[in-house]
Amino acid sequence: MTSGYIAIEWWQLCFALGFVLLSGAVSVWYGLRLERDLAWGTVRTFVQLMAMGYILRLLFGLQNAVAVLCIYVVMTWFASRIVRDRVGETGVSYFGPTFLSASFSFMLVTMLVTAVIVQASPWWDPRYFIPIGGMVAGNSMNALAISLDRLFTELRLRRSEVEMRLCLGADYEEASRDIFRDALKSGMVPSINSMMGVGIVSLPGMMTGQILAGADPAEAVRYQIVVMLMIVAATALSSFLVLRLVRRRCFGTGHRLLVRYR
Amino acid sequence: MKPVLSFCDMSFFWPGGTGLRNVALDIYAGDHVLVTGPSGAGKSTLLRLAARLEEPASGCIALDGQPLAQLDVHELRRRVGFIQQTPVVDEGTVRHNLLLAFGFRANAALRRPDDAALRHWLDRFLLSSVGLDDSASVLSVGQRQRLCIIRAMLAGPQMLLLDEPTSALDPESRGVVDSRLAALNAEGVTLLMVTHAEGACRGAGRRRVEVCGGRVREVPSAEVPRCTQASGAAGPDAGSRDRVAGKCTADSGEGVA
Repeated sequence: MTSGYIAIEWWQLCFALGFVLLSGAVSVWYGLRLERDLAWGTVRTFVQLMAMGYILRLLFGLQNAVAVLCIYVVMTWFASRIVRDRVGETGVSYFGPTFLSASFSFMLVTMLVTAVIVQASPWWDPRYFIPIGGMVAGNSMNALAISLDRLFTELRLRRSEVEMRLCLGADYEEASRDIFRDALKSGMVPSINSMMGVGIVSLPGMMTGQILAGADPAEAVRYQIVVMLMIVAATALSSFLVLRLVRRRCFGTGHRLLVRYR
Repeated sequence: MKPVLSFCDMSFFWPGGTGLRNVALDIYAGDHVLVTGPSGAGKSTLLRLAARLEEPASGCIALDGQPLAQLDVHELRRRVGFIQQTPVVDEGTVRHNLLLAFGFRANAALRRPDDAALRHWLDRFLLSSVGLDDSASVLSVGQRQRLCIIRAMLAGPQMLLLDEPTSALDPESRGVVDSRLAALNAEGVTLLMVTHAEGACRGAGRRRVEVCGGRVREVPSAEVPRCTQASGAAGPDAGSRDRVAGKCTADSGEGVA
């Protein structure tokens, strides 16, 4: 069951800028020096979302599988860049493995959702594939950043422990097994925690959006359940893959640990 | 006689440019070699290179004539044990820690010692009061260090690399560790040990090697032992320091972290 929704006009959108001015005033008042970031963030929000709106409109019109998948790869590439910038490790290159892991896991989970669960026809229908894929990418991106950051931090802090094991004959996997588990767990926990509070503490964006667009709340809830579960799967799969690939790069020939003290 | 471990014109540099230059050093079976020098001179780096925890920039390091780069790293680590300055023990019991190496894939073929053998080793290192089922994390630093030495010895290495194994210990524990290491050496285990301890330099039959300003040189036994306590990283001016005053005289060069 759907009904109409209240469209937001341009003048109403400009009115929403008042919220940013409010934040800016707080920044000025307390000397936080966040005005520049706030302004740049606002501009990016406008530009990026407007651009995505036009791209989606174009894609919906094109109905072309290659175009849809290309857009999704570009989204994944940007997600990987954001992960790289957030982690900020310089001793080991990890952009390539991050992009590979993200592309594979995001694509797989999104395809499973659109083709098997939602049963969109065709499975790459941009009306389903891009928004669902975007949610997978957005949430898993955080998990990837947390996992990688934990991996590098722990390898650095627990260097003596890792090298003790290496010197006793462990290979790099055995020497870093506990660290790998901790890093994987830290990536997976936020998405599991979000399942605990959903519906009680928070009303997730997708469900809220559907309700605002006039969808029956009971239908919106079913979509949201699928989204929550797919995010848990995507974070687990992408974190696992990226940690497997990047951990190998943290060790050189002869199973030497390459991550150094800063 | 062929050396067990040899550094052949080996150089190593840290990212900042400091390092060890043109190291030429032969260590023979049964040697007890003490590595001395100011803090930051590169003593630990020398050991890390021998354990292949670092790779030389040029030259080579060989074990029984075979370059380390061509030797299976697990084979190397079975034959050469490495004892860190601060003893690292795993969570779990003393038994678990002693048998840690036997759980790794590369050591699957090694014969796992039974409890009687473990107890024998604990007795040898004056750890008779420690139970195999005790938690290793409650042991004192001195007891942990001895546990680490036993753990390394259980794989049957021909050589031990020891990075200031007694620096964190009280005088009593230090004496125990020193005497046990001397006993191992008497049984044929080759020792290459970084030390700051004055007493360690005076043992009979021990060779002394000084690392200073990125250079490594053997100290003739006739010279006064100089297990230096100088603090601070060795910089370009390190070579001009007064040796008799407990510092090095090697040529100027860069020190290492």
